[in-house]
Amino acid sequence: MTVETKRKVDDLNIMVAGQGGDGSLTVANLLGVLLARRGFQLYTARDVASRIKGGHAAALMRGSIVSRGCIGDELDLLVAFDHEAVERAGPWLAEDGIVVYDASGGPVPREQLPQGASVFEIPFARLAVRDLRRDLFKNSLGFGVVARLLSVEDDEAAAVLAGRFAHLRPEVAEANLGALQAGFSYADEHGLRSGAGPWFLDGAAPSDRMLISGNEAVAFGFLVAGGRFFAGYPITPATEILTWLQRRLPEFGGVAIQAEDELAAVNMAIGAAMTGARAMTATSGPGISLMQEGVSHLGSAEIPLVVVDCQRSGPSTGMPTKPEQSDINMLVHGGNGDFPRIVLAPATPGDCFELSGAATNLAQKIQGPVYLILDQAVSQDSITVKPFALELIEAASGKRLSHDDLAGDFEYRRYVVTDDGVSPWAVPGTPRGMSLVTGNERNEWGHVSTEAGNREAMIDKRMRKIDVVRDELPRGHRWGDPDAAIAMLGIGMEVGPMVEASERLASEGLAVSVLQPRTLWPVLDETIEFVRNHDRVYVIEHNAEGQLTHLIASVGAPHERLRPILKYDGIPFRPGELANLILGEEGAVR
Amino acid sequence: MTTYLPAMPIWCAGCGHFGVQAAMEGAMRALGIPPHEVIVLAGIGCSGTVQNNLGTYGYHALHGRVLPTATGVHLANPELTVIATGGDGDGYAIGMGHLVHTFRRNPAFTYVVMNNGVYGLTKGQDSPTAQDGSSALGFDAISLALSIPGTSFLARGFARWTDQLHVLMVAALEHARARRGFAFIEVLSPCVTYNDTYPVWEATLHDLDADPDHDPTDRAAAFGRLVALGDAGRMAVGLIYTDDTAVATDEPAHPATQDVTPEANREGYTRLLSRYTV
Repeated sequence: MTVETKRKVDDLNIMVAGQGGDGSLTVANLLGVLLARRGFQLYTARDVASRIKGGHAAALMRGSIVSRGCIGDELDLLVAFDHEAVERAGPWLAEDGIVVYDASGGPVPREQLPQGASVFEIPFARLAVRDLRRDLFKNSLGFGVVARLLSVEDDEAAAVLAGRFAHLRPEVAEANLGALQAGFSYADEHGLRSGAGPWFLDGAAPSDRMLISGNEAVAFGFLVAGGRFFAGYPITPATEILTWLQRRLPEFGGVAIQAEDELAAVNMAIGAAMTGARAMTATSGPGISLMQEGVSHLGSAEIPLVVVDCQRSGPSTGMPTKPEQSDINMLVHGGNGDFPRIVLAPATPGDCFELSGAATNLAQKIQGPVYLILDQAVSQDSITVKPFALELIEAASGKRLSHDDLAGDFEYRRYVVTDDGVSPWAVPGTPRGMSLVTGNERNEWGHVSTEAGNREAMIDKRMRKIDVVRDELPRGHRWGDPDAAIAMLGIGMEVGPMVEASERLASEGLAVSVLQPRTLWPVLDETIEFVRNHDRVYVIEHNAEGQLTHLIASVGAPHERLRPILKYDGIPFRPGELANLILGEEGAVR
Repeated sequence: MTTYLPAMPIWCAGCGHFGVQAAMEGAMRALGIPPHEVIVLAGIGCSGTVQNNLGTYGYHALHGRVLPTATGVHLANPELTVIATGGDGDGYAIGMGHLVHTFRRNPAFTYVVMNNGVYGLTKGQDSPTAQDGSSALGFDAISLALSIPGTSFLARGFARWTDQLHVLMVAALEHARARRGFAFIEVLSPCVTYNDTYPVWEATLHDLDADPDHDPTDRAAAFGRLVALGDAGRMAVGLIYTDDTAVATDEPAHPATQDVTPEANREGYTRLLSRYTV
């Protein structure tokens, strides 16, 4: 069939779905390149099962002229390789949406789709196997049809495809171009001409942008801040940080090692950090549980380390591929004993880059643990952002002693009690800098001590260190109307939907102020003030307990103003969903 | 002295660990290693205090985690002489998983296990090696190690046989410092208070260094020998296995001593950034 009306598209939500291994990601990548060429901003996400091949797998992409921090409310275009993809995506499809369906296994289950949806049924897989002798070519074939739907000229589609396969063997690129042509031929048979489809893409002047995920940005920020040692153990959704650094650190004189478990990972990182390398480990909630002894030890022994938690749905093994924000309590309160720590919470890749660098430097300055808290969506979704400003990241060393500092009569005490609590240190290998480092309570020399006065002095000394960096702890990001009566507050994956929901609410006459606290612990005064300055603050969270709500209430935010909006089904908020929830709550108030 | 003064040992009079400490000090002296180039890491337990007594860099690890920590130290700065130490509880119970993987990786540092068959510091509970007092082979780490392809140096000493222990300790440090790999030395080091086994154990020892039939470069023969001796209730001491041709885990870099200033690395960072341009 063909669709008569021409629609100009400036905000397009696409899902490419099938079974894992179908190549859904390939089609989505090609569409991403195409949209980026037209000046669209991208937000890409994955929805996969926890298995290597098979299981429902979907690539989600939003291309929009205005930069957006989440997938939109409805799907405009669905490329479905099987029945299950239609069943799952059907409820999300827009009333005027388009479905491109691989009909190799039979006709589309029409009853799963909105009445107004247009469907193009094409036996991709059958054509790919019959004409091209390989199932995987169905991706390039499908891309050809979608390009025609979006009124993209054939030459441009071919250029996109050629670019995508440029780094592979020429035969592979050649074969895929053949598959693309087959897609065009099929489109011809159904009245879809080059450059004359039912939809056409709006355009914007291409600007300098990069497409990167949060995990990659965390690894990158760490590198630029002088990070040279990483130890980790594979775990979804944190593994990309390990693999990125394994690939990149060696060329900068660094080492990334895969440990036998998270206990080893955190302790390898501790060993390297104590030897003077700027170090990091990264994991998800189950790994953070195992690392709690290490984090407590960092606090006691005064060793600088960045620990990244890419949160997934818990408790226990939970839902490994789904996002959640239910480790907040563990990060802020976990580990035995009292010790200072910092928890930073980035939302966008730019944030991940900046805060990863900040965390690396803060760890050196407080000689202790700094957490970066992400969630699966922040970690793994890839977004177009302005190129990172490399020059904004320093590589701080904190208070270190060189051989020259230790000369003469200087009396070196590793744990000397200072006004600011920070004890200057010499790294192993420094002549005259020999010291004892321990997680036992000890005296200034590092010898074990249980003397009461010393104990109090040491606890107080360590806790004072946070004040050294309090002024440089990352401030929150704000949107919306600061004078509004109501507000939204959230971290990580909530930020994109909050910002977009606030715009829609404003356009409907409901002014909303938005805060993303970027330092979660210690809770900054500005966060408490923000709550005090609004009548009702909706705290948007992906957990069942309202962990962020309780956290800020526990340090003085007026509890009666806080209204948690909680979700723990493994699916991010959509902006419209969030706006409607706020409207509903406000309606109840009025 | 401009830094800490080494502590007096906290051990009971007669503790085997005095012999171990003496061997460590003697080996460092014999090889002429300055104290600032040495870091001694220790686990938790009575043995986990030896690092306080030596005047080198010292580190007290979490219980069972001395090997991953030492691995991190070594990879961060391979120029350091790294000596990990600990007891049989620390290394063979809570830290067992790390021991297997450290053999597998073969990093160039030394690990000294003081095996007394008992948890002394918590006052007398059974340890993994405890076996009716007649031997300390309820668990034999050296037999286990022989089954791991990466293993490159295995020795066992007896705390009271100080001459042999000195020779073994020197050989272990040399193996690691020559970048051949992980030098593992277990010392039978009786606990006079909770498991006083000096005479019983000494009577079971079989000195492979004095055995003309023992070839320490023959892995299969060494394994057969340990099994046969164990079945007869005897414990092997001496240089049990060494691979002089071994090469340690790659040490591609010195992360702790890199120039990490942004200016020095700007070109590389910019090149990386360009890979993400769309």
